[in-house]
Amino acid sequence: MLSRLPVLLVCVWLISGPQDHAQTGVIAQLPPATRKEIVARAKELANHGWVCGASNLRASCSAKYVSDWKSGQRITGVPYCWGGIDGPEEFDRKLANGLAAGAHSRYGVLKCAAGIDCSGFISLCWGLSLSGHAYSTSTLRQIAGKPKYNWFTDMKPGDVLNNPGSHVVLFTGYNPDGTINVCEASGSMARVVCRKTTWSRFKGYIPLQYKGIDD
Amino acid sequence: MPRPSGVILCFVLSSLLASDTPGGRPEREQNVCTIPLTQVLRVPVSSLGKPETEGGLSTADATLMISPGATDEPPEGPDGFDILDDGGLLITDPLRSRISNFDSHGGFRKAWEIGFPADSLTVIGNGLVLVREARTGRLHAFNQEGQARPMEGVTLPEQAEARVLNGKNGSVSRPALDGAHGGPLAVQFDRPGLTLLSLESLATDQAGDTYVALEATASGGTSDTINLNKYVRKYSSGGKLMGETADIPLDYYVTPVDELRVHKGMVYQLLTTRSEVRINVWDANQLCFLPSH
Repeated sequence: MLSRLPVLLVCVWLISGPQDHAQTGVIAQLPPATRKEIVARAKELANHGWVCGASNLRASCSAKYVSDWKSGQRITGVPYCWGGIDGPEEFDRKLANGLAAGAHSRYGVLKCAAGIDCSGFISLCWGLSLSGHAYSTSTLRQIAGKPKYNWFTDMKPGDVLNNPGSHVVLFTGYNPDGTINVCEASGSMARVVCRKTTWSRFKGYIPLQYKGIDD
Repeated sequence: MPRPSGVILCFVLSSLLASDTPGGRPEREQNVCTIPLTQVLRVPVSSLGKPETEGGLSTADATLMISPGATDEPPEGPDGFDILDDGGLLITDPLRSRISNFDSHGGFRKAWEIGFPADSLTVIGNGLVLVREARTGRLHAFNQEGQARPMEGVTLPEQAEARVLNGKNGSVSRPALDGAHGGPLAVQFDRPGLTLLSLESLATDQAGDTYVALEATASGGTSDTINLNKYVRKYSSGGKLMGETADIPLDYYVTPVDELRVHKGMVYQLLTTRSEVRINVWDANQLCFLPSH
């Protein structure tokens, strides 16, 4: 083991170059967020109650749109909307204005629909609502780093599990049986949900930690 | 910002360091009997957006529907299933708001037009099937003919508790059955190079045999991406390890909600791929074999 130490030290020296100035600038602009705030925002989005009106079943900008909901239906959780980044208040405002409640990618990005998608959800939870839908699962690495700890045991609430180009979820805690709790904007469940799940679901995902985290 | 030349050099050095450690893949635990994959049932899928389904969702065919999704929207499709008393299969078809019923060989029997997308279903006692509505989480009851039944008086199945104590040990609770042991079942996972991550009790049958799903990792949570293995173990009523499935495939296209079910000593896995829905079956009633070393 001792014979390997010099080699490992060389590796550490080679990898640890100075951060470039552009990257430092991005980090400096990130709004700080505590882990408690991040999880509270996620729960707020998952627990947001709303009622679907008849006008919210149609999307004026898409002829082929089919709603996930029924008129008068009471739903818990801001609806899934591909390309959306609406928090509870913005969503309610759009709902009142007769926009469609949620939409999937098969209808395209609809300006006439309200709701939130997976990367929009993470951006909102991290307090990045002012920058709009600036980050996708493919660009989250610009504002989040890969943690160095063992993520099977040492992840912290507010970290995320990201599959670039596909999906991202917010980690909120471990369970005694070894499974984990996550919150996410789920297309298949059509809304923001928090739930218990297995690790198998995240094979190939990359754990990330928000660079603006205020620990 | 990592220096590219440094990263390449480190990769080479790391490879050299790793080369003197035995085997990249951990060896299987000695004396654990392996239950091989016995059967694969295949159900064809239709894809949303393909010409044959353009303009609406076809309900006439025997396929199951998948949506390929898009960037930042994972594919959707069949994600829940269970086994009927006669060995037939019920599989959710959420994009058509229905449940499809197949015989034990995978042949299509009929579809239940339930009127909502379902993401989970459970065959419970009294000939009932509990179906969960994907968009609300609400449970609905149906008989095994697909007719809706009132939820009043329906007893929900209890979820057995499980606990991981450390990377090698855990326990799951078992119901006390006639003539069989109840109480906690100790799970030991002594596999060189692998760390136990999670435990899930899948079922305890009438004979008192208990089926447990285990997730384990060799990476220690520091590899490039999350990597793990999954197995199902069968324990006797006395707590003896009877056998373990070979690796459960985890290359999901649609992420399952109901991934594993146990029926009459058979372990079933729902695996929705890009081209078909596979039901992988491991027959834990058959004699299994010890791996050669």
